Amino acid sequence: MAKLRAEHLYKVFGRRPDEAVAQMEGGADREELRANGTTAAVVDASFAVEAGQIFVVMGLSGSGKSTLLRMLNGLLEPTAGRVLFDDDDLTALTPKGLREVRSRKISMVFQHFALFPHRSVLENAAYGLEVQGVPREERVRRATEALEMVGLAGWEKSWPDELSGGMQQRVGLARALATDADMLLMDESFSALDPLIRRDMQDQLLQLQKRLKKTIVFITHDLNEAMRLGDRIAVMRDGRIVQIGTAEDILVTPANDYVASFTQDVDRSRVLTAGAIMSEPDEALGTKADDGTTLRTAQDVLAAAPATVTEGTPIIELFQPCSRSGVAVAVTNDDGALTGVVTRARLLAALGEPDVAPDGDQPPAGDTPDAPETTKKVITGA
Amino acid sequence: MPRLQLGDWINSGVNWLRDNLSWLFDFISSVVQGMYDGLNTVLSGPEPLLLAGILALLAWWLRGLLPAVLAFLGFALIDSIELWGEAMNTLALVLVAGVITVVFAVPLGIWASRNRAVSALIRPVLDFMQTMPAFVYLIPGIFFFGLGVVPGVVATVIFSMPPGVRMTELGIRQVDAELVEAADAFGTHPRRTLLRVQLPLALPTIMAGVNQVIMLALSMVVIAGMVGAEGLGSTVFQAISSVDVAMGFEGGIAVVILAMYLDRMTSALNQRVSPLARRALAKEKAKALSGLKVLRWRPATSVAMVGVVVLALVAGGMSMFGGDDEGPKVSANVGKGQSVNIGYINWDEGVASTFLWKELLEQRGFKPKVQSYDVGALYTGMAAGNIDFETDSWLPTTHASYWSKYKSKLENLGSWYGPTSLEVAVPSYVKGVNTLEDLEKQSSTFKKKIVGIEPGAGEMKLMQDKVMPGYGLNKNFSLVKGSTAAMLSQLDRSYSKKEPIAVTLWSPHWAYDKYKLTKLKDPKGAFGKGDHIDSLARKGFSKENPQVAKWIKNFKLDEKQLTSLESAIQDAGKGKEQQGVRAWLKQNPGMANKLAPVPGGADQKGKDAGAAPMIGYFPWDEDIATTYLWKNVLERRGYKPEIKQYDVGSMFTGMSTGQVDVEFDGWLPVAQKQYWDKYKKNLVDVGSWYDKTSLELAVPSYVKDVKSLADLKGKSSTFGGKIVGIEPGTGEMKLLKGKVLKEYGLDKEYKVSDGSSPAMLAELERSYAKKEPVAVVLWTPHWAYSKYKLTKLADPKQAFGAGNQLHTLANKSFPKKFPEFNGWLKKWHMTEKELATLEQAIQDAGKGNEEKGVQKWIDAHPGIVDKMAPVAS
Repeated sequence: MAKLRAEHLYKVFGRRPDEAVAQMEGGADREELRANGTTAAVVDASFAVEAGQIFVVMGLSGSGKSTLLRMLNGLLEPTAGRVLFDDDDLTALTPKGLREVRSRKISMVFQHFALFPHRSVLENAAYGLEVQGVPREERVRRATEALEMVGLAGWEKSWPDELSGGMQQRVGLARALATDADMLLMDESFSALDPLIRRDMQDQLLQLQKRLKKTIVFITHDLNEAMRLGDRIAVMRDGRIVQIGTAEDILVTPANDYVASFTQDVDRSRVLTAGAIMSEPDEALGTKADDGTTLRTAQDVLAAAPATVTEGTPIIELFQPCSRSGVAVAVTNDDGALTGVVTRARLLAALGEPDVAPDGDQPPAGDTPDAPETTKKVITGA
Repeated sequence: MPRLQLGDWINSGVNWLRDNLSWLFDFISSVVQGMYDGLNTVLSGPEPLLLAGILALLAWWLRGLLPAVLAFLGFALIDSIELWGEAMNTLALVLVAGVITVVFAVPLGIWASRNRAVSALIRPVLDFMQTMPAFVYLIPGIFFFGLGVVPGVVATVIFSMPPGVRMTELGIRQVDAELVEAADAFGTHPRRTLLRVQLPLALPTIMAGVNQVIMLALSMVVIAGMVGAEGLGSTVFQAISSVDVAMGFEGGIAVVILAMYLDRMTSALNQRVSPLARRALAKEKAKALSGLKVLRWRPATSVAMVGVVVLALVAGGMSMFGGDDEGPKVSANVGKGQSVNIGYINWDEGVASTFLWKELLEQRGFKPKVQSYDVGALYTGMAAGNIDFETDSWLPTTHASYWSKYKSKLENLGSWYGPTSLEVAVPSYVKGVNTLEDLEKQSSTFKKKIVGIEPGAGEMKLMQDKVMPGYGLNKNFSLVKGSTAAMLSQLDRSYSKKEPIAVTLWSPHWAYDKYKLTKLKDPKGAFGKGDHIDSLARKGFSKENPQVAKWIKNFKLDEKQLTSLESAIQDAGKGKEQQGVRAWLKQNPGMANKLAPVPGGADQKGKDAGAAPMIGYFPWDEDIATTYLWKNVLERRGYKPEIKQYDVGSMFTGMSTGQVDVEFDGWLPVAQKQYWDKYKKNLVDVGSWYDKTSLELAVPSYVKDVKSLADLKGKSSTFGGKIVGIEPGTGEMKLLKGKVLKEYGLDKEYKVSDGSSPAMLAELERSYAKKEPVAVVLWTPHWAYSKYKLTKLADPKQAFGAGNQLHTLANKSFPKKFPEFNGWLKKWHMTEKELATLEQAIQDAGKGNEEKGVQKWIDAHPGIVDKMAPVAS
């Protein structure tokens, strides 16, 4: 069961937003509306996030991803559509009920940290608990724990302006974690950090996630970050979600030119896995080993292969073996059975630009609220 | 273009509000007045220096040691220039206005920051409030709230509100939107977001706004002095309207000190209340060099609070046990403490007549309060019932417009001076300009300008409507509008440079005494007939206070009296008007009783009440003392004594011819023997009241080896060959020159300098201070013996004769003319101690305040009046 479900969400700014939604449902273009002075920030967004997943929304600035995120915890009220959290309709809640949800179940981490400058690190981390009305002692204990969790033990008495950017964001993270909310909304949380720190933070988030199994919606404009973190990724453009899928889905079968052009700069060798590019084991049968013998069975392939890897191995690790031998690299499952092979040709082809699926066999994300279960997890460096 | 009657509409709107919402205005008025009175009592209560200490302690807490010391010095300066009371009034006004403003401005600013529509609505209103000239608020202020503190506070609140609202709105809007969103994202209630996130972070900006509010309030409070708000504004306003540089500067300095203090304190308050600023402060402190730590150290909040509380308790205790200040001399308690509000315009005749009545009413036991106003404010205030009466209405011409507007709410108590005249005047050194027609021909000489006064003044209207058209002056002249003060200073400047100038002026005016001016003749009578000066009162005053009304109705002064009164006040100096009045009353004995006769009387009247004995006196201390003492006593008994100073010879001749009825200082049998012998057939010796006198020469005790008159021989070089004498006609001087010096063989060596007692005493004082040898003519009793250490030179040959007694001498007819007084004098006796303390009291009161000194002495000797002048009850 999905933890969070967005159904046909619209957010229109300007005059007569309801009319604009009706027009768009009738097929009107976003540009037409803009001429009338209304701005459609989010158009017909639907998706589901499973418990324990990191769901990344990726898009350039102005694509509506931040607006979308703020509708998920009710900071912005959707013009149309519903947000279901644990099957409760958030859009139907009173302001009080909504505040209750925000204080206990959904917390948020901000792009520029949004730490209160007039509160110490500890007081900042304890803020959510204070709002919940947790007694002081418990508040201090839990906030201290949260700070410890993000590696800031001993900094409790410091003030936000005395910390580096990365440390400040850890405080922001601790503040979000301290409330024990099931869900975290992270709004470009690492974008303001420099690249090395950003990588550290990503690693730390993944580490924490292993332990805490939160449900996370993560906003970013950086595809590499999306690929690193996301169990599933939604790509947004001009207010619409153009594709939802795993990192490989998006790399290998981009829904359109836009998504494809996006993926150009991605280091594919680190994102793609052996499982994603391997061909059937048959491909290797009948080829010759380096010593000239013909490979006839799967056992022969396994024996002759320069390396044996699992489906989850990033392809960057295949180049070394392939350069040493003409025989395909063997891919096995957990039982050691041969499930596929990666030939030298295949490996090289995978680095090139993918062809856009001509017949849309990877349909645009908006049309598939119930996206298929992820079959493969792509985590580099794992 | 049709004329929109915008002003009229506003006017009728204001009238409607006044008539229909008076309950609201009364409520506001009593709340504001209550706040002000409370705070003012607290601030004015303690000893000035103690309160200065408290204020300095606050400065220490907020800013550090050096500012605290400066604050203390500043407030001490205010105390020393005798503006402490005014400064505290102003401080109370500013604080009350400031608090009210902040109470309104901050919520309004918060509202505006949270609601764009409100913000858009408020903005033009604030612009309006801020740019409307501040004076304008005062007019409806008076309408709604009467005169005094309240309209001042209200106008101040309106004027100083905008920065408070703006800065609050700005401060809250400036708070990082992401922070507010963060609070929101954690489910914070909006109210809590406001209180715990937005306000604390906006506080520095809001405090800057509060600082602005206080500073604007201070500037407005000064302006509010024009509508009768007490304090420094009143002082400054008075200084401006009388071109008094000294007073203006002192008032200005006091304002500056208050302003600096308030500014520095409110801006530093931010460091204590705002969490961010507190952190910055703590950081700075940590960085401070160790050597400067003492200077930078500030008491913690708790320490400062304790200090303030302790000082405040001391202050409270002191003011509780402190002596009550010396009240005015109440000669007949007719008023029984009833208060009377007198308003006046700061014109000389207004000041003179008003302070004259203040003094008279105080003498009669009333509690009069005087306050200066602008003309318009005076009339509206009186019509509204805030002022009981005033004595400076120029009718029927100059104040015609006010009178016709308000006459239904006023009563005319009659005219006390007249006729007056309005005119254009030029300095006499401008030749050939004697009439308004001459003026017209010489426009270039005067640079085409006639320097006028306040545009609202009746004379100005008359100038514009009648005089200038009447003489064709409007073609070549422009009438400069300004103020009386500006006109006078312009006149002063031109006069000193001998430049031609034409000014609008009126008579009576002291400018005619100070400068030589030509009043331009008005052959066409364009200025109309002269005014007379009337006293007006609010409707119903004569019913409620028939006694005062009767006095005012009978009030009359002639030109000599008025000008002498004005000059007495001028001589007394600013802020001492009442002393001037007292001096004048002294020169015009009986005037008080003539102007404010006591009906029935509180003190028991003598049988011969109403009799007017003429008492002569010598300018000698014991005689001044006893004469003023008897004057006081006789007045209590309903007599109308007149006192006059004579020298010895004229005293005796005057007494023998009956010009002088009686004197108390007859030194007999020795000193005045020759006079007595000469005139005794026309005189009568009523009796002796003091018997241990002696005449002598005295030298300071530090002059060694001179113990007797004989010792003076051969020491003439020590004393410069001089004996400092007194009035040449006195018996002692004659005795000294004719007999004493010869007896001791000193006549060749020493010269006795003729002079006067005061000159002799001054010489003694000067020499004594320098420890120089000096020999003076002196006598016992004399206070000089208690003030200085002097040696009375022994007179072994008894050349000065035996000791005198002090006799009361009178004209032969005195016992018949004043039998009761005669009876009192026969039985009168004073001890040495009584006389010495009386003289001392008069000395302490200072020159010109003899009556005060006597009054004090009488107060210290209860029953003395009945003892001196018993009346069978």
